[in-house]
This record gives sequence, structure tokens and C-alpha cells, in this order.
Amino acid sequence: MLMCRDLAVIASDYIDGELPVFQKMSVKMHLIMCKDCRTFIGNLRASTELMKTHSSGRADEELIRRIDERVAEALKEGPRDSTNRGP
Amino acid sequence: MAHSALNEEQALVEGLKAGDEQSYKEAVRIHTPGMIAVARFYLDHSSAEEVVQDCWVTVIDAIHKFEARSGLATWLHRIVANRCKNRLRSTKREVSTDFSEALEPELGERFNARGRWELPPKLQFHDAGDTLMENGALSGCLDKHLSALPEAQRSALMLYEAHQHKSDDVCNILDVSASNLRVLLHRARQKIFLMVETFQETGEC
Repeated sequence: MLMCRDLAVIASDYIDGELPVFQKMSVKMHLIMCKDCRTFIGNLRASTELMKTHSSGRADEELIRRIDERVAEALKEGPRDSTNRGP
Repeated sequence: MAHSALNEEQALVEGLKAGDEQSYKEAVRIHTPGMIAVARFYLDHSSAEEVVQDCWVTVIDAIHKFEARSGLATWLHRIVANRCKNRLRSTKREVSTDFSEALEPELGERFNARGRWELPPKLQFHDAGDTLMENGALSGCLDKHLSALPEAQRSALMLYEAHQHKSDDVCNILDVSASNLRVLLHRARQKIFLMVETFQETGEC
């Protein structure tokens, strides 16, 4: 039987829909019976949503300025060796 | 990607291909935070900044080979990841990350020996992130805690949550298995869950 601690371990997989069907059903059954885990899953989901809107990161202005300068110089120099390109 | 965002990206890529300095400034501002997140997964702070600067210079020529099979962000992140991996190979260093525990210790201690909640969550968070973010103090607290996350967790979080890369892309860029990516994301989410909980209960960060 799935215990609360087991559910906490796989909670993100449940939220992201990454659990196999059988495990997903076990979680759903547990959630029907356990108010604490329902609160936990709801709160973890809210935390996840929070990060989607907040974790994009902000540009370090000093770094951006340095990059802009280097790019401007490189653009003035024109095309360079074309053999070292691409991901 | 939404249609308008796709058009905006196409226009930006055209500008980059034309060597337009203003387009580079825009692209640098949009994409540098994500590129730094990738580089910090592999390297220390100053090396990561160095690699990202070098990558932007590389992009000036490489952009002509960009065929939009992936989004611009994914393409840039792969360039950064490859550069970082090369640098690690040349210095014979390896990234070491602990994937062994799926539960944050602080959360794990809240269960009894039978695996039931000993200290269950007391309050319900609001439904959506937007509502929570209306609280300015919480936003500042979140900034602080996101900065304090281990680099591996923060990188995974930024690529998966903020940049909305697919799992496969994140695994490829960060060179981690799918199961290890799940651990990184889950650990990061638990830390933020614990932070929001403390904030709601005590008003303290």
C-alpha cells in the first residue's frame, strides 16, 4: 500500500503526468482517502506554477554590457573562420 | 511556441543573420540568463560567464547554419553545453551531483516510522502562482531561495520550468539521465514548497 512518504517521493512525477498508469491509480486512491496528501500535492503544484513564472532569471547588466561590446567588435571585424561553427 | 512568438523569433533570427547589432542586443538580453544557467551546471561562475561571452561571438558565424529545427533557445543552450563539456574534458574535471535522495531531508523528517505524516502541511497555498506573486515580499523571498538552490537544481529548473524545454532536450543539454532530471526537479520544487510554507505560516523568509 502506498504510504504518505512514498507519495511525497513521486509527487512531482504525478504532477507532471510521468507516472505509469498503475502507480498513478495508486496515488489517486491514496489522495481520495488522505486530506494531508491532497494539501501537499496542491501546495507542491502551486509552488511549481510559482516557479514557472519566476525562475526565468534576470540578466546581469554588467555581463550584458560586456557581451554587447564583444559582439559589436566581432561584427565590425566581419566573418571569421567558418569551420568552427554550430552546436 | 505560440504563433506570434514564433514570428518574433523568426524576425530576430533574420536580424542576427543580417549581422544587425540591435538584434544581437535583443537576443543577448533575452537568452543570456538561460545560457548562464546551462553553463553554471558545468562550470564555476567566472568560467561560465567567459564561455557564454565566447559563445555569443561564435553565434555571429554559426547563426547562418541555424535551420530552426529547434527553437533558438535550445540551439544556443546546446552550443553552451558543448563548449562547457569540451572545457571540462580539457581540464579533466567532472560534474558531481548527488542524485541519491529524492526527498529533501527537512521534508523527509516530517513522516513517522510508518510513513504517515507526523507534521502535515497546515495551510493551503493559493491556487495559482500569479495570486501568490501578488505578494511582493514573497517574490523577494523566492528570488533569495532560487539563488540559493544548488546549481544543478537551478539549471534544471530554469530549462524545464521557465524555458519550457522538453525533458529530452534538458537531459541532452545537461547530460543527465531522465530519472536524474526528475530528482533535480523534485528536490528544487520541495525546497520552494518549504519556503512558501514557512513564509505563509510565519511571514518570514
